[in-house]
Amino acid sequence: MPRLTIDDIEIEVPHGTKVIDAAERLGIMIPRFCYHRGLGSVGACRMCAVKFLQGPFKGLQMSCMIDAQDGMVISTTDAEALDFRRHVIEWLMLNHPHDCPVCDEGGHCLLQDMTVSGGHGMRRFSGEKRTYRDQYLGELVQHEMNRCIHCYRCVRFYREFAGYRDLGALQIAQKVYFGRLADGPLESPFAGNLVDLCPTGVYTDKPARFRARRWDLERGPSLCIHCSLGCNTVAGARYREVLRQEARLNEEVNGYFICDLGRYGFAYAGHPERPRSPRIGSQAVGWQEAVAVACDRLARLGPRSIACLSSARASVETLGTLKYLSKRVGSDHFVCFYDAAVKFKMGEIVSKLDGRTAVSLRDIEKADLLIGVGADPINAAPMLALAMRQAQRAGAKVVMMDPRPLFLPCDFEHLSVSPELFDVCLSALVKSTFDRERVGKHGEAAVTLYDRMLSCDPLDASVQARLEPLIAVVEGCRRPIIICGSDIAPASSVSFAADVALLMGEVKDQSGVFYVLPGANAYGAALFDAANGSSFESVVQEIEDGAIKALIVAESDPFRYVADRDRLQRALNKLELLLVLDYLPSETVRKAHIFLPTRAIFETRSSFINQEGRLQVAEKIHSPGTPIWQVSNKGHPPRLYGTGICGGEPRAAWRVLQQIAHTLVHSQNEISENDPWPVIGGECAVLARHHQHNGPLHGLRIIPQTSTAAFFDGDLDLQPKQPMDGHLTLLPVVSTFATEELASYSEIIQRVIGSPCAYLHSDDAERCGLLDCDRIRIAVDDGFLEIDLTVSDKMARGFLILPRHSRFEWQKLHCFAQGLPVEKIGNCTP
Amino acid sequence: MAGNEVNILRAFYEGVAGLASAYRITLKHLFRKPITEQYPEYKRPLPARSRARIILTRDADGDERCVACFLCSAVCPVSCISMESGEREDGRRYAQWFRINFARCIYCGFCEEACPTLAIQLTPDFEFCQRDILKLVYEKEDLLVDHGGKNAEYDFYKHAGVAVKGDKGTHYQEAAPVNIKTNLP
Repeated sequence: MPRLTIDDIEIEVPHGTKVIDAAERLGIMIPRFCYHRGLGSVGACRMCAVKFLQGPFKGLQMSCMIDAQDGMVISTTDAEALDFRRHVIEWLMLNHPHDCPVCDEGGHCLLQDMTVSGGHGMRRFSGEKRTYRDQYLGELVQHEMNRCIHCYRCVRFYREFAGYRDLGALQIAQKVYFGRLADGPLESPFAGNLVDLCPTGVYTDKPARFRARRWDLERGPSLCIHCSLGCNTVAGARYREVLRQEARLNEEVNGYFICDLGRYGFAYAGHPERPRSPRIGSQAVGWQEAVAVACDRLARLGPRSIACLSSARASVETLGTLKYLSKRVGSDHFVCFYDAAVKFKMGEIVSKLDGRTAVSLRDIEKADLLIGVGADPINAAPMLALAMRQAQRAGAKVVMMDPRPLFLPCDFEHLSVSPELFDVCLSALVKSTFDRERVGKHGEAAVTLYDRMLSCDPLDASVQARLEPLIAVVEGCRRPIIICGSDIAPASSVSFAADVALLMGEVKDQSGVFYVLPGANAYGAALFDAANGSSFESVVQEIEDGAIKALIVAESDPFRYVADRDRLQRALNKLELLLVLDYLPSETVRKAHIFLPTRAIFETRSSFINQEGRLQVAEKIHSPGTPIWQVSNKGHPPRLYGTGICGGEPRAAWRVLQQIAHTLVHSQNEISENDPWPVIGGECAVLARHHQHNGPLHGLRIIPQTSTAAFFDGDLDLQPKQPMDGHLTLLPVVSTFATEELASYSEIIQRVIGSPCAYLHSDDAERCGLLDCDRIRIAVDDGFLEIDLTVSDKMARGFLILPRHSRFEWQKLHCFAQGLPVEKIGNCTP
Repeated sequence: MAGNEVNILRAFYEGVAGLASAYRITLKHLFRKPITEQYPEYKRPLPARSRARIILTRDADGDERCVACFLCSAVCPVSCISMESGEREDGRRYAQWFRINFARCIYCGFCEEACPTLAIQLTPDFEFCQRDILKLVYEKEDLLVDHGGKNAEYDFYKHAGVAVKGDKGTHYQEAAPVNIKTNLP
């Protein structure tokens, strides 16, 4: 490891570290504009010049372009370097407008900082300033091109790092322009990162435009809970409302960036209709009364007549305390997943993720082969697509098995096969990599599975021909990772993926399986939920039978997920008590007999477990309360002040649940009022070792080193089915930004999601007499569903792919499996 | 001994002279015209840069100057200024609401120094105390005046380079916008 001296301080850094990073490790921040550790160096801005006094380089050099080497002696404060940097900043300011007061970057602007610290105050040049016209770049990013200093960070991120082509550099010489060919929304779901990346105010956060300066924000580390990856964010709130989120560096999870859903999906917490006070029926009451009445009614019911529902968006604290409460009241039912198949898959996933199989997003970037099994990264977990692109840029091969017309911002091999064929394809792809001896190390079951893989039926010729060259790639790779969805992938594939990853670990340098789960805390929910046998179906059944008389719903909305809403409504009507705790204005909240408002992620400290079993903590950002602009209707805030905060009643769900549990079973001695973790640890052995106050900043993996679960026991589906001609199977799928529950309450996201669109293979479309851009309707129980159609030949035959889109009542589609009546009613709505 | 007597005589002389000079000044002032002004009967005109009640001024076109950049509220040592910024239909940044709590203000003038648009200015008007403290909380309507204050002709938007009050390239010291559809020089 090279040892070098920077400003008279010695430091030893790993090979390949740039001098600019070595200085940063010492706490010396060398000024920079174009250099960003996530993007690498280009040496374009000339701002990071330092003086090399001894070693292989001499004189003034760019510290971002030179790797640290042994014996270097560097001065960052040398007079020559200071003078050079002072001139650079003066050049960069030649054309910079005089608009800091109306620029949202002001206050956290790198250019502003460097100008002030470089001592540049007056513009000496008296010529005209270059100007540009700005473009409309959609609802999320504001463009103000006059401020540009040509560091190229934006196009390097947008085109090279993220792989989208619609933003680029135009014009030449000193007139270079960064923008699109024509006005229009940026196509990339990662466009929001431009706001973070731009060292000045060319790209600023549009939803938060003019809302606040950085110094006025209450900021703190938070998490994105819109998908299972658990990307780290910094949330900034002002006047009781989160205004903006930025990416927070987590080397193991999201790196330096986040997707637009994570950045702009926060608005649900400040929803104008968010319920903020406890209710009994439609009557707003005080906390004490509401809790007392709830406890009283619960106490009157016998054991086994209470069921508890929660969801994968609830925090570990909420889930753990609800589980504790459900045990205390003698309830048999604790359900977090409405779909029994998903629940089963989650059980499999949790049992099979261990130190040998689990991989992080960072490992994906280092992989040299990625095999996707029923995963649609851009739609289900966008940051995964970005990690896959980094792997592919470093030379990895990407193979995706999926019936959907997938899009990825990188080159990939798409095997558009139906979910039933996942097992066969994966097996055909990997079986030649293994040999019986190595497989034997994993025991009898592994050998049996291996034999079944060898004996599986051949695929049809077209798929086989495409698999042949890939088999050689699998044999040659050293760090393969299987990316497996939990949505359309059948249960057998979900467990088979882990089996294959484990066997691969035997013959490869590194291997693993990366699951995409159905919610931010799906792993956590499965820890509490998977062990018991109850399902939502059985809960509804027992309510109908009259066995269950009370339902406690904590941060969940069954109406969103259940197809037969009428049946659910009838069931809820039979209940004696529907106790709902939530922070969303959901259908279930409206129907609650007793409602207790809870705090959103920004208003209480909460923990979530991401898809690789990493426990991460989001800090409290601000106290709950109705945002000032809602109280004052955009005018002056009220002049008279009360003692409480307006709308500040919500409490953390775990506190309320713990209080109910106390009151019901009178056992105050064992639990702490301020720490939910003893209770959580009592309910889940895996979490017992952890405590809310410890753990590293980048999260703590709670998965076991070696899982005790039985691998290789999956019920593999290795007999390829003959496709049934003339039948369309309906496949509801995740749609970017439009499926997720919290985002559907987020006004900003609702502004940018596209209209729902169905996909059909061109052969099927021809048979049905449908064309691209037709508007079709699908007959369901009560009437029709209408949707625009896109015809594609990059998808599997025999499927009609429909988005679970918030503007499309996909819940009604569960009644259908095959033989779908589809008819054209016109052309696409423009 | 003789030296000692001289010292006593000098001390005596200095004592008498000191007393006499004080009486002389008093006597002189007895016959001078008084300079005391009878406030509030007489209100003395104060210099324009005296620091008292704060106003929000307008530019030469009569539009409010404040762009709600938060610099005054940031610099205020007693945090008596609060505001929220918004975007007007014409793209102009303006204060949705703007509030100064004069009960807390110490009239240090930092806000005026920080203001990049010369909107916030301190005036010589210091007589506005109230018995009810809430009456000292001034809202934007109370603060806005219909003149330009100390520097009536300055217009921030003519220097800023953003497309407000005229298209890009039409402001002070600006070249015409770059045409991105051609690479010709």
